[in-house]
Amino acid sequence: MEAVLLFAMVIGLLVIGVPIAVTLGMSSVLFLLWFSESSLASVALTLFSAFEGHFTLLAIPFFVLASCFMTTGSVAQRIIRFSIACVGHLPGGLAIAGVFACMMFAALSGSSPATVVAIGSIVISGMRKVGYSRDFAAGVICNAGTLGILIPPSIVMVVYAASVDVSVGRMFLGGVIPGILAGLMLMATIYLLAKLRNLPKGEWQGWREIVISARGAAWGLFLIGIILGGIYGGVFTPTEAAAVAAVYAFFVATFVHRDIGPLAVEGRRFIKKPYVLLTAFFHPDTQRTLLKAGRLTTTLLFVIANALILKHVLTDEQIPQQITAAILAAGLGPVAFLIAVNIMLLIGGQFMEPSGLLVIVAPLVFPIAIELGIDPIHLGIIMVVNMEIGMITPPVGLNLFVTSAIANMPMMQVVQAALPFLGVLVIFLVIVTYIPALSTFLPTAVMGPEIITR
Amino acid sequence: MKSVSSDRIEEALIALLFGLMPLLTFANVVARYGFNSNILWSVELTVFLFAWMVLLGASYEVKKNSHLGVDMLINMLSPGSRRLLGLVSVTICLGFSFLMLKGSWDYWANFANLPATEGRWFPLGFEDQFRVQGWYEVDDIPMPAMLGWLAEIFNDGAEYEKIPRLLPYFVLPLSMALLLFRFAQAGWALWNGRIDRIVASHEMPEAATEIVD
Repeated sequence: MEAVLLFAMVIGLLVIGVPIAVTLGMSSVLFLLWFSESSLASVALTLFSAFEGHFTLLAIPFFVLASCFMTTGSVAQRIIRFSIACVGHLPGGLAIAGVFACMMFAALSGSSPATVVAIGSIVISGMRKVGYSRDFAAGVICNAGTLGILIPPSIVMVVYAASVDVSVGRMFLGGVIPGILAGLMLMATIYLLAKLRNLPKGEWQGWREIVISARGAAWGLFLIGIILGGIYGGVFTPTEAAAVAAVYAFFVATFVHRDIGPLAVEGRRFIKKPYVLLTAFFHPDTQRTLLKAGRLTTTLLFVIANALILKHVLTDEQIPQQITAAILAAGLGPVAFLIAVNIMLLIGGQFMEPSGLLVIVAPLVFPIAIELGIDPIHLGIIMVVNMEIGMITPPVGLNLFVTSAIANMPMMQVVQAALPFLGVLVIFLVIVTYIPALSTFLPTAVMGPEIITR
Repeated sequence: MKSVSSDRIEEALIALLFGLMPLLTFANVVARYGFNSNILWSVELTVFLFAWMVLLGASYEVKKNSHLGVDMLINMLSPGSRRLLGLVSVTICLGFSFLMLKGSWDYWANFANLPATEGRWFPLGFEDQFRVQGWYEVDDIPMPAMLGWLAEIFNDGAEYEKIPRLLPYFVLPLSMALLLFRFAQAGWALWNGRIDRIVASHEMPEAATEIVD
């Protein structure tokens, strides 16, 4: 009964416009003071251990930083050029290239809105120039951008892994096949639409262009190798891989592509004054990128830290166990259970920031899923796909907001534009839910069968 | 993102804390493969920098009005009721920061040989007796010589080998006090009608436009 009060409080505070982080924190604090023996000092300790106790979460700021350096620089542009060279000549070519570019950028960055911004701000205007409607362009990119959290690395997967204690490496691998599948489904849909509506197609620019553009994009794309190769080759932990990615991205943006920092101004003249190389670390561009990434991380992590306080309350009050018992007593099978989880997450995902929602929901449904024999990685991928859909449905859809900002169109129009492709993602969700092998095949093949501890 | 001079300190601090984190972690990887050794304390220090950045950053985000939230309902209301709900929200935020400030003080105080407060909800005076915990050290980070004077104050002159816990935990009361202050400022701005909500507006989200520029 008390649990109902807790959730009612969370929803009530959210709706009247209290920031999500404060909503979660305040509900937990009030609940603890009313119903338990815990002191405020213990809440403060829980808040601090959100950082101290979760080394995995440290991967989040690093992935955010890496993608900020990638977005500030010309990496996105180079990837798009390569992508157009590969698939631009198909019917609906530029749109398909946009999806392909989103997939590649998703493999560098762990965030969906970042993917939309990086690819969308270039591709959407490009598409309008060759004759696509603004709605179509925005709809495609808004949806394809959601792949940012499904194709590894992924911030949302890190959050899931941290909150239910599964391996980040496994989660990343689990996202590979579904991510590629989702991308192909979006491309196929565009292809069909292009045939039906006679959408513009580009010119085949020959193999030479592919080679040249691939060479241009290579520095950026090599990051995929560093992240995945590093983690699965056992070279570093996911957190270290993220830090290396951030440093590498800084290095590429400043010294190789010379998009930011001292060399962007000095060019090759630096040979005469080599000391400018050192200023790269303090250069205003570097500071600005650090601040931007820092602010994104702060808003995100403050929500997660407070969600962890709420999670702490839930576990203390044994609420997951009660719910598990109730669900099992009701005789819900795995299939019905997964449908229920999907519906709950789809509704929740419209109001909450994905990572915060995951921190709260994952510990609630995880024990039930294990009892019902559902694979933890499979459950995680289902959750991630739900969060993707949450990002493109109103009222709180991060991708909608950034798309509306970069395409310069009102929110509601973006919602409509995204709708047809949203259908594709829903079908994809059904496929992922009922074919566990899509998510579990690769992790099992690479890292061996999962050991499930109850 | 234009910097106002009053934002400079906070912004520089966020950038500095954030810049050190990947460098430390990266240095540890280099040490492991390049020099076959290990910077033992890098993990712990990185985690503390992380906590400092996020907790201090939280109050900066209040100042910049960019905390995530749901503004669906308040967008549908008249300006009058919107202001009312805004004031209710900010009161809740003030209550939260106040309770967390008390909790943070209570948790931190004994590590700094200071008394925690009595009382469950509100501080009702300081406790008379408590165990001093100023001697408590972190796990790995060695004590830099320049902080040696801390031993005189908090550890009866006995030298620390590792830095005392009172240092990393100090961010708790500090950040919560700042949070309380920023929410009070936001409340004042709401009262005067300079802002109409305390969450990031979604129609033209500052966050989104910032990513773009």
